[in-house]
Amino acid sequence: MSYTSLRFIVFAALALVLYRLCPARWRAAVLLLLSYIFYCTWSVEAAAWLLGATLVTFFGARLAAKSKSSEPESSERGKWLFVVLVALLTGYLVFFKLAAIAAVPGVERIALPLGLSYYTFKLISYVLDCYWGKIEPETRIVPFASYVAFFPQLMGGPIQRAESYLAQLPPLRLSIGEGLPRIVWGLFKKIAVADQLGLTVSYVYSNARSLHGAQLLAGFVLFPLQLYADFSGLSDIAIGLGLLFGIRGPENFNRPFTASTITEFWRRWHMTLTGWLGDYVFTPLRMATRNAGTASVVFSITVNTVAIGLWHGFTWGFLAFGLAHSVYLVTEALTSRLRARFFRKNPNLDGWGSRLGSVMVFFLAMIAFVFFRAANVSDAAWGLVHVWDGLSSFSTDLGVLIAAVSLRPLVIGLIGFAVIEVGERFRPDVWMRRYFATWPGWAQQMFGATTMTLLVAAAYLLLMSNAGQDRPFIYEVF
Amino acid sequence: MQADRREETILKLTEIFRDVLDHPDLVLSNDLTADQVDGWDSLSHIDLLVAIERAFKIKFATREVASLKNVGALIDLVVAKTEGAH
Repeated sequence: MSYTSLRFIVFAALALVLYRLCPARWRAAVLLLLSYIFYCTWSVEAAAWLLGATLVTFFGARLAAKSKSSEPESSERGKWLFVVLVALLTGYLVFFKLAAIAAVPGVERIALPLGLSYYTFKLISYVLDCYWGKIEPETRIVPFASYVAFFPQLMGGPIQRAESYLAQLPPLRLSIGEGLPRIVWGLFKKIAVADQLGLTVSYVYSNARSLHGAQLLAGFVLFPLQLYADFSGLSDIAIGLGLLFGIRGPENFNRPFTASTITEFWRRWHMTLTGWLGDYVFTPLRMATRNAGTASVVFSITVNTVAIGLWHGFTWGFLAFGLAHSVYLVTEALTSRLRARFFRKNPNLDGWGSRLGSVMVFFLAMIAFVFFRAANVSDAAWGLVHVWDGLSSFSTDLGVLIAAVSLRPLVIGLIGFAVIEVGERFRPDVWMRRYFATWPGWAQQMFGATTMTLLVAAAYLLLMSNAGQDRPFIYEVF
Repeated sequence: MQADRREETILKLTEIFRDVLDHPDLVLSNDLTADQVDGWDSLSHIDLLVAIERAFKIKFATREVASLKNVGALIDLVVAKTEGAH
């Protein structure tokens, strides 16, 4: 069941009632039960895989840590057990990713288990954190299994670390006042913006070979906006749901289109994935090759960006997406000192440099996203070449496209996107909360009740406008 | 004695940080973290570690680096690693 479906709303509402009624010490167990019910509605078989991976990791990490802390001989065995565990989990992820594109000999094509890439990354980071001694292996299976299967994060992240999740158990403060607005904001991003812009994007990408110039450009420019609204909307819903159940998840986005370099873009886009890869892939690789100078930088960045690409799926398009970012990031890394010195010597150009940088980042990211979104690499390359055709008939071509896709959803989506950008820049929710905190208690309660009613009404309207045309989140399938 | 060595380490580390991060006025404090310093990202972080390794003639392991929380922890680690040399 999708987060925007009526079934899910009913499930979440009933779950919340049950959750509030039960004593705090049972909440981890209830969360675990709810998460598995949620997962079983998708596939019982996939739930069995999830349980298997969880059990192997839980007991494997405990055994490895126990051996590692004892005498030198078994300490070596413990180290190897950790290595085997990481290899097993990586193999598990790779197997399903390959099977999803029917590339495993003797195995028929199987659907990717929901949330596979997210929960496997949670498990791998847990094992490595235990190995590096950052955390002690968890001794209680129920809290651990609830961490791996935590249903608000199962469908599309954010990828929370075990330490941060487990420290919040048992969940005592269920933040409806913070969680509900976050969910409605996410629904707005998904239904009023992403799905509206998505109509034009889908049209352009499915008919790319018969379009050119401004028509292709419109689709290419709109896709990053759609993807941001879609994926950050999914993250908002996940974080909001988590807050309702007393778990604060990590932020996944921080206004990525304000970034003035691609390096900064990745610090603001899908932050839990890049943070994960930074800690568990990039840093160990850079450390291992640190005396190789520039070659180490190029190698570590490329492995990291290729991993970002292939995390989405084993396709040439995702590989090209990763490689494009590798070119961007390597260029930035090798020129960073030069640029810093230039702007220090010319401080009056700093502001303009940032603005120009933001525009460049958008278009560079857009080019990489063409490979991400197009059906295959050859369509993407064809589109990027033919986007230059017919620039003289720019407005006529745009008119033809708008006539084909209808103007209304496009305008709604674009206005909605502007609302997102302004809302996330000025955060009216934060200053409203601060302002109303000075009011007397009864007035605050009245205000709270009115806001909640309005939010529920807004959620209802959004979901009703969406009824019957449930479009999955883009990041649900990874 | 211990305090002296810590002071000495901080002075030497400040010089390395200023040079690698290209921040001539940077002042180190125990609770300073990478997010608070412009240009201190995952790339320059390793450059810093390599420069520290060379200056103090020590070697870091990935696991030691992975669990560093702030500059204070880095100073402690360098002091502990150079203990044998004094």
